[in-house]
Amino acid sequence: MRGDLMSAEHLDEEMRDVFQEIANVAMGRAADLLARLLNNYVVLPIPVVNLLERNELKMALSSLKSVDSVSAVCQGFVGSRISGEALLIFNDTSFQDIAELTEFKGDITPDIELELLMDIANILIGACLKGLTEQLDVSFSQGQPVLLGQHLHLQDLVNNQTGNWKRALTIEIPYRLESRNVDCDLLLLFTEDSLAVLESKVRFMLE
Amino acid sequence: MSTPVLICDDSSFARKQVQRALPPGWDIDVTFAGNGEEGLAAISAGKGDVVFLDLTMPVMDGFEVLEAIKKQDLPCMVVVISGDIQPEAMARVKKLGAVDFIKKPVDAQRLQQVLTDFGIYAG
Repeated sequence: MRGDLMSAEHLDEEMRDVFQEIANVAMGRAADLLARLLNNYVVLPIPVVNLLERNELKMALSSLKSVDSVSAVCQGFVGSRISGEALLIFNDTSFQDIAELTEFKGDITPDIELELLMDIANILIGACLKGLTEQLDVSFSQGQPVLLGQHLHLQDLVNNQTGNWKRALTIEIPYRLESRNVDCDLLLLFTEDSLAVLESKVRFMLE
Repeated sequence: MSTPVLICDDSSFARKQVQRALPPGWDIDVTFAGNGEEGLAAISAGKGDVVFLDLTMPVMDGFEVLEAIKKQDLPCMVVVISGDIQPEAMARVKKLGAVDFIKKPVDAQRLQQVLTDFGIYAG
């Protein structure tokens, strides 16, 4: 179907390229804030853009596939006829180093982990969405961040992910620190309903 | 003779954005590269007296390209154009010999200013 390339089975290569580049710019801004918070260089990955069915979600979290235990926050966003959610998923082994880097003293209880998780989620998700909306010339309002769970297996987390969608455009951004054991995945999901608007925004940028 | 200019970025969209931001009157011969390895080959072949270089790329990233240019003492001026705006990234590329850093998305005025500042093209 012409002019409806993203709704087809296959994500158009040109669309993928533009989303990857837009995500690259947005994640760079978010990484800059994280680097300042943790006083550490954040290694920037190449964002992975996919069009996935819900049951393929685990594939979009490839960088965490060998991780034993994760904690995650999700935050919905909606606006300009686009909706989706951002998931921030931490490898649980990261919290010790995050606590040290933010000069937290004391025992790292699940409550403290939650606080660190929420703080970083606010920074990364907020900056990343702002970077995307500025480039696409749209505006989103963000919901409250919601804890999806702590100390879960990735599969359980994927099962817990309750958003109301069947198919989504996903952008996976695996962040890690250069000299510390901190890694997390920022996953942006755009619902199927949003694809037509996103495509028209991208077409406009390509003109 | 036209100046050989290389635009090295893994995104074709980003390459186009850079090309569009170049001053219209500049007499250049543009080559494109989709990763650092292709970029380095083009520079070695004399196709990049002026290089616009991305950092986050597959196969060979921008930092590695800068290291190779330095090591092989290749004659080129490199302007990094990247989404990696961490002060540490900027410091590293300058140390590796890049003349300047422009953040993405590239702004035409900023790019032209850099060309003027370094005597590459004054318009």
